[in-house]
Amino acid sequence: MADKKQRINLRDRGAEYWERSPKWRRVAMAIFFIAVCYALPFLNNPLINTPGSDFQSVLFYPVGMYVLMAIGLNIVVGKSGLLDLGYVAFFAIGAYTMAILGTKTALNFWEIMPIGIGLAMLSGVLLGTPTLRLRGDYLAIVTLGFGEIVRIFAVNTDSIGGSRGIAGIPTPPDIFKAKFTILDPKPYYWVLLTFTLLVIWMVRRMAARRPGRAWDAIRQDDDVAQLMGIDTRKYKVWAFVLGAAVAGMGGVIYASQILSIVPDQFNLNISILILACVVFGGIGNVWGVILGAVLLAFTPERIRFLSQPRILVFGIALVVMMNLRPDGILPKKKREHFDPDWHTVEESGEGQTK
Amino acid sequence: MSENVLELQNITMKFGGVTALNDVNLVVKKGEILALIGPNGAGKTTVFNVITGVYKPTSGDVVFQGSSIVGKKRFKITKLGIARTFQNIRLFGESSALENVVTGADVHSKTGVIGSIFGTPRSRREEKAALDRALELLDFMGIKKRAGQLGKNLPYGDQRRLEIARALATNPKLLLLDEPAAGFNPAEKVALGETIKRIRDTGYTVLLIEHDMSLIMGVSDRVVVLDFGTKIADGTTKEVQNDPRVIEAYLGAPADAS
Amino acid sequence: MDFALLHDAFWGLTFDGIALGAIYALISLGYTLVYGVLRLINFAHSEVFMIGTFAALVASSGLMGVKVEDEPRTGVSMILTLLVCLVVAMLASAITAVLVEIVAYRRLRQRGATKLATLISAIGVSISLVELFRILTDSLPREFPRIMEKTFLFSYAGADIRNDKVIVIIAAGLMMFALERFITKSRLGKGIRAVSMDENTSTLMGVNINRVITVTFFAGGLMAGAAAFFYILVYENTSFKVGFFLGISAFTAAVLGGIGNLKGALFGGFALGLMETWTSAVFGTAWKAVISFIILVLVLLIKPTGLFGESIQQARV
Repeated sequence: MADKKQRINLRDRGAEYWERSPKWRRVAMAIFFIAVCYALPFLNNPLINTPGSDFQSVLFYPVGMYVLMAIGLNIVVGKSGLLDLGYVAFFAIGAYTMAILGTKTALNFWEIMPIGIGLAMLSGVLLGTPTLRLRGDYLAIVTLGFGEIVRIFAVNTDSIGGSRGIAGIPTPPDIFKAKFTILDPKPYYWVLLTFTLLVIWMVRRMAARRPGRAWDAIRQDDDVAQLMGIDTRKYKVWAFVLGAAVAGMGGVIYASQILSIVPDQFNLNISILILACVVFGGIGNVWGVILGAVLLAFTPERIRFLSQPRILVFGIALVVMMNLRPDGILPKKKREHFDPDWHTVEESGEGQTK
Repeated sequence: MSENVLELQNITMKFGGVTALNDVNLVVKKGEILALIGPNGAGKTTVFNVITGVYKPTSGDVVFQGSSIVGKKRFKITKLGIARTFQNIRLFGESSALENVVTGADVHSKTGVIGSIFGTPRSRREEKAALDRALELLDFMGIKKRAGQLGKNLPYGDQRRLEIARALATNPKLLLLDEPAAGFNPAEKVALGETIKRIRDTGYTVLLIEHDMSLIMGVSDRVVVLDFGTKIADGTTKEVQNDPRVIEAYLGAPADAS
Repeated sequence: MDFALLHDAFWGLTFDGIALGAIYALISLGYTLVYGVLRLINFAHSEVFMIGTFAALVASSGLMGVKVEDEPRTGVSMILTLLVCLVVAMLASAITAVLVEIVAYRRLRQRGATKLATLISAIGVSISLVELFRILTDSLPREFPRIMEKTFLFSYAGADIRNDKVIVIIAAGLMMFALERFITKSRLGKGIRAVSMDENTSTLMGVNINRVITVTFFAGGLMAGAAAFFYILVYENTSFKVGFFLGISAFTAAVLGGIGNLKGALFGGFALGLMETWTSAVFGTAWKAVISFIILVLVLLIKPTGLFGESIQQARV
């Protein structure tokens, strides 16, 4: 059978290459890839330079942050099929936790991080549990409402800064020689990257196993999933909670870099932007999502004229993607024959039956 | 009593003004193949839906292995040991055949989200066990070569077989098959009949909805006939075949519906 | 919390609530009509409304040459101006609605795409339109000239009955009546009802689905356009984001009444208009949007069928 355009098979080609590689090669490739990511801030090439903003700062926000958030939202929307339009709320909760605890207590960034994640997760439970039974479109509106309510609440509550927000958020404590200041985004970027890699690792493990299968089943046919013995309630709440945790994580890091936050920053547009990244990535496909996030975050920075109507471009992109390429940029290829060596269950190469 | 895997006791199912099932009583004995037949609209799929917890009966009880399961959550009922296939195929089309079946096999894993993240020894064991079982079942149903293909791309017959494999993966004590031979040609129906018998011989109990009389007569031990939501006959294939009420309900000759 | 205000100004607030409710009812008809035939929430409907307000604006200044600082008109000139703006708004909204259907929904519908994909496409259209107008208006709100002198016709139990709101209530009522006639009596209207009940059978009975759907969007757009004109007549300004909160409120109204149910949309619209106005008096206007959301969530959790509608939550196996 003739291969179609190169681009369509990229993901599966990559996946097949990965699966067929012996362990040492996989480790080498992984290390190389990770090393490149860490080295990115030192890249100084006119091709990728971003006029108007410092490249290193762009790497941190929006590129790095969108990538992290997109991975989180992917669990909810991409894999589980739960259309969450209020994702920014969890990001806001993380950011506000950092802001409030940072300015009002002596806790530092690392101590606040688990609290921020915890509060975001709790909100995930609070939002997820009552909305479980809602169908797609209703869930979308309700989550959108949740996102807006969080923002309106923040604007109208003076004890947490009201519409002026919170300023004077402390930076994280130095790590060895690395100082976290507003002038140098590099240490922030590396912290963000480290957390992102951790999240990717976790997500891939879940996706390849039972939770991933359960989420796929729920997305495709919730009723039948239940009849196949899946506790859909539990897994849906988990999806919300995990997605919220990731966003909360991002929020804490974001606040500690930007050092002052206002509630109107955490608006619907951000939820939509992250959603666009997930949509570009296709259903539940981590790499596609990352690619989508990088493209959508980076391109408006690189091409200045796109920056002003950025959101308009996103909107149009959403419509175009859904109509022309609903499976995302890197869709799954239809495999015509079964190779048992291909379909391993774990990265470690275990689980093959031949 | 312990002989009966499933008992429907005085099941009545009303939807607004419509009575889909009217005081239906039936019993499925351990290790048998029981066929549920009747003209279209008789309520056969409704019976399946009541058993699997999709509908809560207006009145009556469903007793599975001695305990009542009415009002229990659907996934719990599946965990207890009831699995089914669907009249209109309901596969996970975007997932591969293998993934479909492994999803069924997951029912008996105890690994949760946390276990999956950390890769505990138990999670690895269960993962391997589920995968092995899935491949076994795909082989059993004769579709091992389709393992990597997406559910929606499989030919029709293989989709039906895949649904059965997926249901079997949950290791049910009672397997409900809803028109598994719909759309099959005669040769395929015979093969399916053999497979159903083999499934029973492996130790499963089967409750089967079908329209094809020769398939039913060839495979079933007993037959229950529904018409307009009421049970009108219950007995061995011979008894039911000759029952005048059954003949009347079908207007004469049993048709070979395809 | 200011219950005293609610008590003292009760009838005034009630009158305002009915006027607001009329506007909501017209918009929510659009949501409910589309839901009836497509089983889908038309996310972009709020922008259909928004565009209607701008169309009225353009009609007043461009077509009728009214400037914001002008004195209100009288007599025939006034009536003519108002009518032109109304008609332009209605047509603009209706055409926008049909375009939205073609761009965002049609292809996906014909390909049998998932609900998720369709929803995302609709969201894309919605934010594109919002952003487009944000850029066009430079993020600034626009004022609408006072074409009609706003006078208090009379007082009733402490409520000052203003003429523009009276017109809104009456005109909206006439539109709803006209729509109801159309749906029940006309051939196209029957087609719409048939498709909302059973799409497949309708096709078999010779109903042209595409035409029915286009007409549905058109009709919903007309109603939203009328609502847009009434809105801008009463509140005298608009902005690129006017659609968002009104859309949420109108959608809540549709759900409250039972989505898919026309009478429900009307009832829901008036009910929500009243509830919002009363609670704003008590809690302050900042929390107005939150009220809608809370009502929406409550309805969806407690009685998703709404007050008059039918349930769409049941599993189908």
